Amino acid sequence: MKYFQPQSVREAVEIAQTSEAAFLAGGTDLVLFMQTGKIKPIALIDLGKIPQLKMIRETEGYLEIGSMATFAEMGNNELIYKQAHALWLACHTMGSPQIRNQATIGGNLGNCSPAADGLPPLLALGAEVHLVSGNGDEVIALESLLSRTPLLAQDTLIQGFRIPLKGFQSGFAKLGRRRALAIARLSVAVAIEVDGNLVTQVRVALGAVGRRAFLSEALNQDLSGQEINEAWIEKGVEQVQRIVREALGTRASAPYKRVAVSGVFREALDSFITEGGSNA
Amino acid sequence: MNTNVVGSRVIREDAWGKVFGQSKFPADVNLPDQLYGVVVRSPYPHARVRNIVTEKALELAGVVTVLTAKDVPHNSHGVLFRDQPVLADYVRMVGDPVAVVGAETMEIARAAAKLVEIDYEVLPAVFDAEQAMLPEALPLHPELKPTNVLYHMPIRRGTMEDGWALADVVIENEYNTQHVDHAFLQPEAVLAYVDERGHMVVQTATQYAHYDRGEIAHALGLRFSQVQVKTLAVGGAFGGREDISLQIIAALLALTTLRPVKMENTREESFYSHSKRHPMRMYYKTGATKDGKLVAMEAKIVGDAGAYASWSINVLRKSAVHATGPYVIPNVSIDSFAVFTNNPYAGAMRGFGAAQTVLAYESQMDLLAKALGISALEIRLLNHFKVGSTTATGQVLTGSIPLDQCLAKIAPYLQKGDGIL
Amino acid sequence: MMDIKLMVNNKPYTLNIEPSERLLDVLRTRLGLMGTKEGCGEGECGACTVIVDGKTVNSCLVLAAQANGSEITTIEGVGNRRKPHPVQKAFVEVGAVQCGFCTPGMVLSAKNLLDKKSKPSDDEISVAMSGNLCRCTGYDKILRAVKLASQEGN
Repeated sequence: MKYFQPQSVREAVEIAQTSEAAFLAGGTDLVLFMQTGKIKPIALIDLGKIPQLKMIRETEGYLEIGSMATFAEMGNNELIYKQAHALWLACHTMGSPQIRNQATIGGNLGNCSPAADGLPPLLALGAEVHLVSGNGDEVIALESLLSRTPLLAQDTLIQGFRIPLKGFQSGFAKLGRRRALAIARLSVAVAIEVDGNLVTQVRVALGAVGRRAFLSEALNQDLSGQEINEAWIEKGVEQVQRIVREALGTRASAPYKRVAVSGVFREALDSFITEGGSNA
Repeated sequence: MNTNVVGSRVIREDAWGKVFGQSKFPADVNLPDQLYGVVVRSPYPHARVRNIVTEKALELAGVVTVLTAKDVPHNSHGVLFRDQPVLADYVRMVGDPVAVVGAETMEIARAAAKLVEIDYEVLPAVFDAEQAMLPEALPLHPELKPTNVLYHMPIRRGTMEDGWALADVVIENEYNTQHVDHAFLQPEAVLAYVDERGHMVVQTATQYAHYDRGEIAHALGLRFSQVQVKTLAVGGAFGGREDISLQIIAALLALTTLRPVKMENTREESFYSHSKRHPMRMYYKTGATKDGKLVAMEAKIVGDAGAYASWSINVLRKSAVHATGPYVIPNVSIDSFAVFTNNPYAGAMRGFGAAQTVLAYESQMDLLAKALGISALEIRLLNHFKVGSTTATGQVLTGSIPLDQCLAKIAPYLQKGDGIL
Repeated sequence: MMDIKLMVNNKPYTLNIEPSERLLDVLRTRLGLMGTKEGCGEGECGACTVIVDGKTVNSCLVLAAQANGSEITTIEGVGNRRKPHPVQKAFVEVGAVQCGFCTPGMVLSAKNLLDKKSKPSDDEISVAMSGNLCRCTGYDKILRAVKLASQEGN
């Protein structure tokens, strides 16, 4: 097996075009798959030495996160705490400290496990993905990217994500078998835009209830333009249960997750930061 | 006798080596020129091995040998009965070792293990202990027992008719527990070699070095004095290192090749290869008077021993003896069984059969209390063992039984709960 | 094969390795640093924890090549009998050591926490230690030992 450690995105994409190499992000999934023989790459392109990919910054109207930002780095970032709270919360419940120090948000998308913790928050926050390949740059909504199969061509690198700063409040909750080191059995990210007492937009994304995390458009239509109160929450719970029922069909986990999602949805709503900055 | 240390804080001497990372666990020891052994395990729960073709594995560069059942001088071991093969030609559970590859590196050994071709005649398997007890079930160890019932322990006290006649409330239920793996943190590992005396030296983590020594000697046809077992840092056991795991297989490879042999289980192999806690199905019928006094209990406990006996007899004996819990019951009928199935074999694990029955007898106590309209604490205070109590087996308890003190201490915490107590 | 440079316990190494080799295997088999343990091989147990550039990682999930150019601390680089690290001293004093297989990883997670924050809260200690499993279930004493080390050390 060959191993490349490029210093720039351009160099990385060039190597990918001329070899049958796979991109290596943090490696917490890929190294394990290599060890068990599930994946046998001919060559690896280690993205760990490209400083540009680690950046987290605010630009005009966007929060930009490089694909090699680790969950620990995102979880310690003030911008993410304030502007992408759902993602910040996901960073603190994902894996263990050791995994969070190594695993990256780009790797989370690249591996795209059904239970990937980072994807529901990014979906709810309306994130776009910046891809780079031999054909040049492409910026695509994460939601659209997740409907592609295969997700990414071999020579396509995930440069990063950008989240439009539209003043959404967001929250995240996950159901795992224990608090640390648990793979999500179910995760819910919610982002809402509020105008006075009115919810003007609602974006709910679910993880671990299908092949990939997804955003529910129907929920947005049913819950937008209404006043936030108990009845609204109850309506949300009902709708999210319906979505889980439809998504899981006759799967063995369906009866359990259908019930569990109501609690996880409520927890996600409870996890929003209030105006004062502390948790509601 | 000096009892100064009782109740005082004592520094654990081996702790220093452990905090510095110096303590040697069996995976940490190596010898020059060692071979690496990897076991080929059965994917079937019940099968006869018809044929094994080792040519492809042997052709791989770096493979030194592939051993199978025919290479084991005395192909059996076990803590109570020698009912477990070192390398199986008749498979009774998924994970039974069928062949072992010895190679120059661990990677080569793992690759070669995949090249060993085994032809199995797959046989019908039984996974439910009660089904395995039925007369038509195929016996898994006919040489040991004519049926799959390895053990039956009956306990009788008083007269059941009298007991039930006195009972104002009777609760009857079925309780089930599941397999549990010890998941000791250090997977099994062994270093085996023939030393300058010609003696077999086996370095491993074990709960039972002198027994390992006897079983290695027996299987390889050596004298006890020719086998030395060195227990290195154990890395957790909880009962799971009482049975032999890789010890004999590594020693066999070392004896055959006259080279040091290193074997190390992955976590997955560890799950496949060692014993489990017995799953138990427990049928309980318990009666009490309206004053809350226990008067009768009938229990049938079926323990799933899995493919091999291991400690099943002792475990199910303990289940029977502890079946009433710490409560006085004058009329008792208990039947405890250990039954062979094609499940992973069950053996020693923390509590050794006493842990499973707690679920049944304590649940019965809660349900009786509920039916009688008294608190769960009250029914226990009315019935628990005291000095002078007689147990179901007729033992008169004479020592210290401070259960009342224990209950008194926890009572305030229980009452703070959700009102059950 | 490829060449990598590692600084392990303040000692520089240049190694010729296979790119597929895990950091865990390089530390154990090439450098003979047996204090780093493999318990599960999939990032669940934390027995293989080492500190890479000031961060704890599971060395079973990191390729040695990824650590090229990094500074690594293994248990062998943390204190000795003459001068034990406060965490090591506290683990022994409190009785936070049973079978000892999780201990090196536990000590490294605790040391790294205290390096970053000398007086962590109980919650911060729990989170910092949450990636290390102890099957002897001595967690209470382990957390107490970290607390004690934070009071006595630093």
